[in-house]
Amino acid sequence: MNTDDLIQTLSRDVPRVSHRVLARRLAIGMVGGGIITMILVTAILGIRPDLRVAMHGFSFWMKWTYTLSLGVGAIFAVSRLARPTPVSLRWLWLLAVPVLLLAGIGIGELVDTPSRDWLAMWLGGSWKVCPWLVLTLAMPIFVGLLWSFRRMAPTRLRAAGAAAGLAAGAWAATIYCLHCPEVSAIFVLTWYSLGIVLAAAVGALIGPKLMRW
Amino acid sequence: MQASEEQLKAWMLAGLDGDAAGHACLLRTLVPMLRGFYRRRLRGAEDDVEDLVQETLISVHTKRESYDRDRPFTAWLYAIARYRLIDHYRRRKVVVPIEDVEAILVAEGFEEATSARMDVDALLSTLSPKQARAIRHTHIDGLSVSEAAVRAGIGESDVKVSVHRGLKTLAARLRGEDRR
Repeated sequence: MNTDDLIQTLSRDVPRVSHRVLARRLAIGMVGGGIITMILVTAILGIRPDLRVAMHGFSFWMKWTYTLSLGVGAIFAVSRLARPTPVSLRWLWLLAVPVLLLAGIGIGELVDTPSRDWLAMWLGGSWKVCPWLVLTLAMPIFVGLLWSFRRMAPTRLRAAGAAAGLAAGAWAATIYCLHCPEVSAIFVLTWYSLGIVLAAAVGALIGPKLMRW
Repeated sequence: MQASEEQLKAWMLAGLDGDAAGHACLLRTLVPMLRGFYRRRLRGAEDDVEDLVQETLISVHTKRESYDRDRPFTAWLYAIARYRLIDHYRRRKVVVPIEDVEAILVAEGFEEATSARMDVDALLSTLSPKQARAIRHTHIDGLSVSEAAVRAGIGESDVKVSVHRGLKTLAARLRGEDRR
């Protein structure tokens, strides 16, 4: 096809683009995936029966603050990586802040707990399944974010994949909190984080294949 | 003559607001710019140049939602053009000599900066005279490395090193200034 004809064809289809198009696409992808994850949690895992009581407690909000702050930071990274122009990601080290805070709470817990109970506190009742559940629940949100990226132009595909995986993992963990009754900070710090990191790793692994354009 | 950043951006914004004529003007104006961009990098592969120009026009069109209205248009354009070039190499499984990779990557930071209408002379004056001269010869006057070497009376590798170091310094400085 000759270049002039190509331009003519392309110029036939020029819809208006909203000023907030990126935020809108990310929101649709996240919420769409999040609804699927929510359905999986309520229908298959079940909401923890004591949720109402737990929501008045410290550990529930500790978990949510942790996963939500990672989720917000990751979504911000995703929004920067969705555009082709180079951006500085140096501020991402800020994501260490929630991790360190949670580690601080964890150390406090260990000090207050007799050492013979440490192992039980660390492993809780669900350490074997927790990371895998977070990873599985992250997949619908990850797919939603892949959809958000379809009209976007990421140029650092591995970083974009990792950020999308991280966001999906952190938000999946947030939703998973509605089911999971674990209370200790070192449990969350280890097994939640492992699930979230696995999701980011999967994103980094398959991002370059799935996000090419 | 190459259209200015302001003009290109105005057409882009018009296109984003649904103005098909503005969008067509933009795409037509980009053709010679992109031809120049790819010719400089592919040296001689005319068919590939035209393919890449067309692919880039399609990307500019299909990925227009990824343009941030608050940022320079040319920076966005060349980021897309560079991605298309790297993708082209990847599909052809072409192995690029490491010096050329540097030219693709580093020179672009510089190109974006100049197209963002920064004052090139002021920028170059912050470098050593040798680096400034080497960059001026090879990237602004369009001389080859050997011509620049003859004109400056230094070795070819000296020119390459000066250009590389100078661009790296400038890119770092611009990134520092441009961080938001």
